[in-house]
Amino acid sequence: MGGVDRSHLPIRRPAFAGTANRTLDGSQPDWNLIGHPTPPEGAPNVLLVLIDDAGFGNASTFGGPIDTPNYTRIADGGVKFNRFHVTALCSPTRAALLTGRNSHAVGFGSVGEFAGGFPGYSATLPRDCAPLPRILSDNGYSTAAFGKWHLTPDGQQGPAGPFDRWPNGWGFDYFYGILGGGSSQWDPCLAENQKIIGTPAEFYDDENPYYLPDAMADKTIEWVHDIRAQDAHKPFFVYFSTGCSHAPHHVGADWADKYKGKFDQGWDALREETFARQKELGVVPADAVLTARDDAFPAWDSLSDELKAFYARQMEVYAGFSENADHNVGRVIDAIEELGELDNTVILWVWGDNGASMEGTITGSFNELTMQNGIPLTDEMQLQLSERYGGLDAWGAAIMDPHYSAAWAWAGNTPFQWGKQVGSHLGGTRNPLVVHWPDRVTEAGSQRSQFTHVIDVAPTILDIAGIPHPETVDGIDQEPMHGTTFTASLTDGAAPEHRTQQYFETVGNRAMYKDGWWLAVKTERIPWVLTPAAIQPYAPGVWDPDRDPVELYYLPDDFTQANDLAAQHPEKVEELTALFWEEAERYKVLPLLATMSTFFGMLPPIPEDTKFEFRGDVQNVMSGMIPRVYNRSYSITADLVIPDGGAEGVIVAEADHLGGFTLYVKDGKLTHTYSMMGVFIFQQVAEEDLPSGDVTVRMEFAADGATPATGGEVTLFIDDRPVGKGRMDHTVPVRFSGYAGMDIGRDNGGVVDRAYEDKKPFAFTGTVKKVVFDLNLHTSAQDELDLHASAHQGQVAHGLSA
Amino acid sequence: MKIDDETTDVMIGGYLSKAAADEDYESVLHCGARLWGAVVVSKDLEGNLTVEESDHAVEEGAAGLASVGFVVGLFAPPLLAATAIGAVIGAAGGEALHKKLEKGIGEKAGDTIPIGGAGLIVAYPRSAAETVEPAVTRAIQKVVGEAGGKHVKALKSALADAQTKMAEGTS
Repeated sequence: MGGVDRSHLPIRRPAFAGTANRTLDGSQPDWNLIGHPTPPEGAPNVLLVLIDDAGFGNASTFGGPIDTPNYTRIADGGVKFNRFHVTALCSPTRAALLTGRNSHAVGFGSVGEFAGGFPGYSATLPRDCAPLPRILSDNGYSTAAFGKWHLTPDGQQGPAGPFDRWPNGWGFDYFYGILGGGSSQWDPCLAENQKIIGTPAEFYDDENPYYLPDAMADKTIEWVHDIRAQDAHKPFFVYFSTGCSHAPHHVGADWADKYKGKFDQGWDALREETFARQKELGVVPADAVLTARDDAFPAWDSLSDELKAFYARQMEVYAGFSENADHNVGRVIDAIEELGELDNTVILWVWGDNGASMEGTITGSFNELTMQNGIPLTDEMQLQLSERYGGLDAWGAAIMDPHYSAAWAWAGNTPFQWGKQVGSHLGGTRNPLVVHWPDRVTEAGSQRSQFTHVIDVAPTILDIAGIPHPETVDGIDQEPMHGTTFTASLTDGAAPEHRTQQYFETVGNRAMYKDGWWLAVKTERIPWVLTPAAIQPYAPGVWDPDRDPVELYYLPDDFTQANDLAAQHPEKVEELTALFWEEAERYKVLPLLATMSTFFGMLPPIPEDTKFEFRGDVQNVMSGMIPRVYNRSYSITADLVIPDGGAEGVIVAEADHLGGFTLYVKDGKLTHTYSMMGVFIFQQVAEEDLPSGDVTVRMEFAADGATPATGGEVTLFIDDRPVGKGRMDHTVPVRFSGYAGMDIGRDNGGVVDRAYEDKKPFAFTGTVKKVVFDLNLHTSAQDELDLHASAHQGQVAHGLSA
Repeated sequence: MKIDDETTDVMIGGYLSKAAADEDYESVLHCGARLWGAVVVSKDLEGNLTVEESDHAVEEGAAGLASVGFVVGLFAPPLLAATAIGAVIGAAGGEALHKKLEKGIGEKAGDTIPIGGAGLIVAYPRSAAETVEPAVTRAIQKVVGEAGGKHVKALKSALADAQTKMAEGTS
């Protein structure tokens, strides 16, 4: 398709250049009519790999303690960048990566779960910012995404769409993975293209259980083979976005056990060891200084032996999980090599999207959602709860949803300060990048230190493919990409800096980089603390961001940000502060802390629906889309048909034993089990058997009051006759699960009540005609408003951990 | 010294795991102090109840601990002082406790141990307190009740005192 105008997408079909007479007599066909766009000659395949929630100092390729032989193999055959930058949060980095634009400018100043009311935080891609996969697809690439997506708002992750917020809507021909920010690796609620397909059948195979990282690689290889089976030449673009190393940290014990004893020295010593290796490798300059531990993290030596063992296992599992990700990326690369296409495949592999995550708080957790629900558990409580679910040997198995201590994340971000959510410092913003392209990168194994940013990836891919950025897409004028190509640095280590200026902002933590200078402004809130006391100083009219403490670093002399020069260079502070505000306005960063607007009374409209009906064949309702039963009275009514001889099974179930509810029949008895995040488990059982025939059962929860996590009384009914009751002292205030869905007539994936674990998914043997949720509004409008605010504040907490 | 001759202490410990309760139970049994008895009660994730009892009082010819309703000493709340945003955990009042004491032992224990939770009850003479109490290190919540008098009455009274303190969240 020489001479094709690629500046307007979709590419126009060529006009008919043949002749069409009244009959075939004298007519000339034009076979170009049935063609399709093809990329420019020589456009290579592209494999874009993004590892989740990992730090600069995790992978052994960059001096870390986690064995990453495939990452090293690719680095040795390509180039590695030691000054590559990301945003300090999941969705923003992904949006920037796939659009080539600053995240706020495309509506992703925060995570995809909740769409806010300001342009930079809408979680909705503007139509004048067509993303990279759409551009590649329209130019003739085959495109596919595997793994974590995290760019679709809550409430839009069902069959009603809208699907322009799903991967296919961004230009991927094929998608297999998870829409949310985190997921079990053992029983994910999967999406394939535009359908939630739920828990994979292999989950129920005890001999050969499902594991998402393995399945991602399998599906990717299968897709590439399918493409080649149809077309031997069409280039492909694969976006391989691992759920690893995001919590829950799930991996087989054989992977975790490789690291037994390797973290017994603790996080303080680990940082020193990593730093020494980084210097040996040269990924950190020889004169760099290791930054100090903030008081927010405890000294390892201050811990009891019991806690040291607990924490060490947390890191062993994280390490095994991460090495497994390297292994599965390696399988994909091997498959491409086997096709003989490795030399003509550009691999861009970013190890971490926001630094390692500190959202496990100091203790880590047997269930990451406990933090997001604001449940304060001490280290001893966490230890005991992990024992309840199998102890250290089960850490990483499906029975827990574990996260590790924030101090391990800090160690993973060596040599920098802080980590995820802290956009002001390199711990949250600098991650390794490796680029491999044998056809063009000839200085194999070399290092690049040009200042690069995640927004530069898309322009670089377009540059490599020879595809121009379109002026219009679907007739809509396009905003230019904000990133610029760094192709020159792939082949020339001395290539000039292509990026001399960049802003950073995440949850109010912000930075301005220019010509080597880095202004860092971190709010005083500890990233994992969202208590009222921590939030209040940032209220409108109270917070003056220009009074936040500032730090200033000169990165060419200070790779790690160890030497604060703010006091010596007030003029530079002033200059960069002014520049930040200019950039913030230009790229829709304002208002700062829009992410947290719900804490200060800026709330979306209160939902009006209070009744939700589900027919008996509805399954896999995503966790963010279930009826809002939190913090209020409600009832669940089910119309059933019970055959003679009785029935058993689940009528309705949300999520699993680490947070959820189930209404089921077992041994003839109607039973309601409610898991308050796996910490408290409440159960009520009917005192009489369920009759046969048409039966209506109901569970009523009468809340004590309009307070988050309210207790209350449960009553079970059969045909309006009370048959059982019990008390639930505490309920889930925010969200049962980050990934597990709600099902009618069965309990897909991990079950809520372990009493029927051996019968999972425990499908109902009678008929569930329909299930109706009725939500009782609180009598006081103010109570409703307060709980509405609380719900959205909780969503912020959830989102910031995703 | 006979059980009737000095103040009886009853300690109740609440746990989120059986393993932690078992650890303290073994620690108490091996602490070297004189005990009137110790009971560890737990309920697994399937709802199955387990009771393990070391009834030293029986060895001394006194009435068994179970005979005074010992296993009912535990009740669900409050294992945690504060668990959620703005939530204050309610506690069973004295009246409710007395009602529990009137039920059958097995039923009571089943009612009062939360799924996945465990409890430890230790009865001992006041003179052993300095040895027994430090041996219980992993309880999420730990209270000690006390009473004097005849042994069955003392055990009941000390247990009731401990239950009240547990309900009030004091230690």
